[in-house]
Amino acid sequence: MDMIYLNNAATTYPKPQCVTDAYTAAFSAPPAGQFRSSGQGMGKDIFTRCRENLGRLFGISGPERIYFTSGATDSLNQLFYGLERKGRKILATQAEHNSVLRPLYNGIAEGAEVEIVPCDPYGYVSPEEFEKRLTPDAGLFVLNHCSNVTGMIQDAARFGEIAEKHGVLFLLDASQSAGCIPIDCDAWHVDALVFTGHKGLFGPQGTGGYFLREGVRLRPYRYGGTGKDSSRLTYEDGDYEYEIGTQNGHGVPALNAGVEYILERGVRRIAEEEQRLMELLYDGLSEIQGVTVYGKKGRNLGPVLSMNLAGLRPSELAYILQNGYETVVRAGLHCAPLIHQAMGTQETGTVRISISALTQEREAKEFLGIVREIAAAAAAE
Amino acid sequence: MKILEIIPSRERCAEAGWHAYDFILEHPMDDEFIKSLRPLGSFLYMQMLKKPFFKIESEHYLLKGIRGDDFFRMAVHGDYRDELKNVENMILTI
Repeated sequence: MDMIYLNNAATTYPKPQCVTDAYTAAFSAPPAGQFRSSGQGMGKDIFTRCRENLGRLFGISGPERIYFTSGATDSLNQLFYGLERKGRKILATQAEHNSVLRPLYNGIAEGAEVEIVPCDPYGYVSPEEFEKRLTPDAGLFVLNHCSNVTGMIQDAARFGEIAEKHGVLFLLDASQSAGCIPIDCDAWHVDALVFTGHKGLFGPQGTGGYFLREGVRLRPYRYGGTGKDSSRLTYEDGDYEYEIGTQNGHGVPALNAGVEYILERGVRRIAEEEQRLMELLYDGLSEIQGVTVYGKKGRNLGPVLSMNLAGLRPSELAYILQNGYETVVRAGLHCAPLIHQAMGTQETGTVRISISALTQEREAKEFLGIVREIAAAAAAE
Repeated sequence: MKILEIIPSRERCAEAGWHAYDFILEHPMDDEFIKSLRPLGSFLYMQMLKKPFFKIESEHYLLKGIRGDDFFRMAVHGDYRDELKNVENMILTI
């Protein structure tokens, strides 16, 4: 039996062949240089090319302000630490991931007061509810574009409009949406966008980054070699460098290959195909007695859904799927504890199913057959 | 049944304060072995499945496994880790 991999919200597998080829090629090729070598070559370097492709994908007209990091968590910590806010209050939502909640709750944003905007049981956050909470001391709003638990996609355009109206910085966490849901940073007034490379962008783990709009000030929390201006030891306020140390010269070419794959296939087309597959899963699971799905077809539009089966804990269902049927899912709270309070699943969590642009319809149908079998056995006990 | 080793499981428990361990066994588990674990707690055995699954639940621990595998997983509350030894001792008599 071939493995069925339905844990793409954690990390995508498999990757398109072009990504694997790019990663392998990067290991064999002379190092990319990045200001530290005479072997620079001609034309645009891979980092610039990747930035430009990401700019096309995310609707960013100033891709030179995209900075590479080791991933979304690294990006979020840097941004929370150093973003200059007009007010001390930071609003985040109940649908946020621990990569947002833990830095904020552990004081990485100095002097910040954190307020959580609630979500409904499907993970939906109301823009109107958000606007009601915007007091004069609101400085930053963080929004998880697509929930990694329920697949709810927030109305980022509307939130951006409200944030802009009130002069509040808008940070969009695109960890789950990058590469599979259309994003337009310029149109949505996004001040900072965070992305990871190894999920919907099909890149390797250890890649990712953030975009910072012109005029948004960020104080770095790390300094080091940048390969240029080596005699300079201090920085004037606002004149910082953010990509310090040797950059990921193997990972970024592979990430670029993943982004090019998505641009060629078309993110809207990917979103439609994934939605069709998710509808198949929603329909199939809703017909199985004992299954609870924590989302609604046509409402939760992302490539993720959460479910439970009566008679089995999520960890037990995941164990059976993994060890009995070679089907990989994830069980638990999925690093997003607050949304489970809205869902009523805070005690044991859920089983999460998440697809990618490479998930086959055959796999989804096979998964439904497996769940039917397990549900029948559980009901018989 | 001989236990080759007891190792911390790669699976993390959702419940705070609980820890999971894998019991690596000398032989794959068969029906007879699984059913002999009944005294350890409330017993569920889903034999209808292509690869039958069992679960044994007690107040402070939970065992689960698949027939034919040479390991099972035990989750135990941190305050009751001595239950690992009790389960180990019981299995050695089977």
